[in-house]
Amino acid sequence: MNKATTRRSFLGLAGAAIAAPALAACNVSGNSGASKAGGGTLKFWDMPWGTPAYNELGKKIITGYTPAEGSAKATYQIIQWNGFYQTFSSAIASKTGPAVSSGAGFQAFQFADQGQIAYADSFIETLKKDGTYDDFLPGVIDTMKTDKGYVAVPWQTDVRPFWYNKALLDQAGAKVPTTWDELLAAGKALKKIGASGFATGSGADNNLGAHTMVAMMINNGGGLFDPDGKPDCVTDANIQAMTFVRELANEGIIDSGAVSYTIDNLDSQWKGRKAGIGIHTPGLAARTGAVGKDLHVMDPLTSPSGTVAGLFFVNNLMMYTNTPSQEASEAFLKYYLSQIHTYWQNPVGVAVPVLKSIASADYYAKDPNQVAIVEKWMPVCKTYAAKKTQSFAALAAVDGGQPLAQFAQAMLQGKTDPKTALTTLQRGLESIVKR
Amino acid sequence: MTPTLTAPSTTATTASASTPPAGKGVSRRTITLILLVAPCLVLVVLINAYPLVVAASQSIHNGTLIVTGDFVGFSNYLDVLTSPRFWTAARFTLIFTIVGVFGSWLTGMGLALLLRTKIPCRGVFKVLLMLPWVVPIVVSSTAWNWLVSTPTSPLPTLTAKLGFGEVHFLANPTLAAITVCVFKVWVSFPFMMLMTSAALAAVDTTVYEAAGIDGASRWQQFVHITLPLISRSTYISWILMTIFCVNDFPTIYLLTAGGPVDATSSLVVLAYRTVFQDQQTGPGVAIAFLMTLVLVIVSTALYRQIRKVDIA
Repeated sequence: MNKATTRRSFLGLAGAAIAAPALAACNVSGNSGASKAGGGTLKFWDMPWGTPAYNELGKKIITGYTPAEGSAKATYQIIQWNGFYQTFSSAIASKTGPAVSSGAGFQAFQFADQGQIAYADSFIETLKKDGTYDDFLPGVIDTMKTDKGYVAVPWQTDVRPFWYNKALLDQAGAKVPTTWDELLAAGKALKKIGASGFATGSGADNNLGAHTMVAMMINNGGGLFDPDGKPDCVTDANIQAMTFVRELANEGIIDSGAVSYTIDNLDSQWKGRKAGIGIHTPGLAARTGAVGKDLHVMDPLTSPSGTVAGLFFVNNLMMYTNTPSQEASEAFLKYYLSQIHTYWQNPVGVAVPVLKSIASADYYAKDPNQVAIVEKWMPVCKTYAAKKTQSFAALAAVDGGQPLAQFAQAMLQGKTDPKTALTTLQRGLESIVKR
Repeated sequence: MTPTLTAPSTTATTASASTPPAGKGVSRRTITLILLVAPCLVLVVLINAYPLVVAASQSIHNGTLIVTGDFVGFSNYLDVLTSPRFWTAARFTLIFTIVGVFGSWLTGMGLALLLRTKIPCRGVFKVLLMLPWVVPIVVSSTAWNWLVSTPTSPLPTLTAKLGFGEVHFLANPTLAAITVCVFKVWVSFPFMMLMTSAALAAVDTTVYEAAGIDGASRWQQFVHITLPLISRSTYISWILMTIFCVNDFPTIYLLTAGGPVDATSSLVVLAYRTVFQDQQTGPGVAIAFLMTLVLVIVSTALYRQIRKVDIA
């Protein structure tokens, strides 16, 4: 070969090297080559909702899925909680996201707002026809409803009940509280034996402090929003609730280190018998080892306003517009819903079921704490959207966002005037919700 | 560098001699050179320029990570610059950077000087002192959290036994800021120690012998000989550590996530939380751009200082 040929060959190769990835990048049809006819693969993305055994079981369920002739097979992918929003967003933007996924309470609303969710109305009609719809606990499906339709289908609820350590209450000579006044009295008694009567935490990546503040507002008939979904923080009910929290902080009933507690720090307080009463997740007893046997779910408290209410998050299964076919997504979702009972049949640390058939089954009813959550808390629980009945996209930013986290930290320190803190929260929420 | 720069020229001359000009103005040689450089340029544009352009676009739109949103001009920048939280974060970033750079430099240099003396087990100490830099930040932050987070953690227990009462290292805003800064110094001093050790090794020992004969004290030798002779390396390490500190996300986020009540929120943490927690992409990216701008100015100033040293 002469020099010119060599150079030309080299340039040709260089051009090909550049063109190949560029052409590959242009192929953004997604779905790993799935055709619109419904073949190919259907991606199901799932988070670690429980112990590591949860995802192993999930994989088995997906492996066991046999689609109808010509329909898409399902693949299973675990998405870690850390940075899950970025993972979903970037995948959806590049058309490589899932066809169906589990997701956090407001994820479906968020992606629906951005035109990425396939509404589940026709699927829910199918559930009504085959009777599955009636198996859902009352009101749960409605939490997924928006003006445009159902954004997702519930599969479990993450309730925020009050827990108490019976051994510590007995040691302190306190009775199990049923009202805020009794909570204060029990807290004072617990403080005398070196335990916290309002255990919570608002450190790195710990939302429980924020959840606790909102739960107290909702308990007192308040909430973050008005019935139209506009931020409405500075209300009498909320001020009263936060004044009570400040009193708990100033009385030393709230651990003064709580503001910086991560979820692990908080769990270690429960494990170390330093936490007597507190709002936590439904799985607290399972997280605390030997102490778990002393932990019990309290009845929802009656607030000074006379209201009884709590906070919950309805976790759901959502379908995306980027799918081999909507029929394939719905067929898969139908199968998956029929299998979720195995997560409670073989306990893997998931939250509260949404199906009556699971909640009433022997394998579930043997745990009195879980039964108490279903029977006593679920009927009075509301979402973050309270007092609005429908959830909306901005709630995702409200839940994980800075204004609420800062508010919780300010309240746990017990130094800020509740009205001032709520006014700051109002401004913070307005800046998030307006966008 | 020199041979690398001259080699293509020689090759190109050879190629030019064997090929006639392509025609009007541009020779075939020029076209060849452009085409040879093109793949690299394309890669640089794809890897660096494209994300920058997209980010710049995001900072002037009111969108999300998926949707571009409406064009809002510089209102995101104005919102950010008029936000008290931005200035709180900017102040903490400044403190964190100053303490991080000079705290780790002083510690690192002190240890580097110590390790030049004849102490027993010097090799073992060198390895042990590198551990904070070598250990993954997730591990070290977990260890620090265990040390200080709850009243029953070792350090609060110790302070309580010493009669200081219940000390909340991460719950008290001032103590949290101090703890995070100390953590940063602890993580970073091995890097500074390494840089200084390398610089000290290059210093000719006969200079000290001459200074000793002239009656210079140890301190005078350190101030007038050691520091000037290692100044180039020192400025480089300051530049690098400034960049490390300003861009440091895990050290702060894993320990305090910017709390309590923004007491340890740096600009990079604020940018992250604004984009991914508040889900306000435009303002978050605007913070990142403003941060980059300041970093470029500081780095340029320090580079100029290096050039002054070179000229001197």
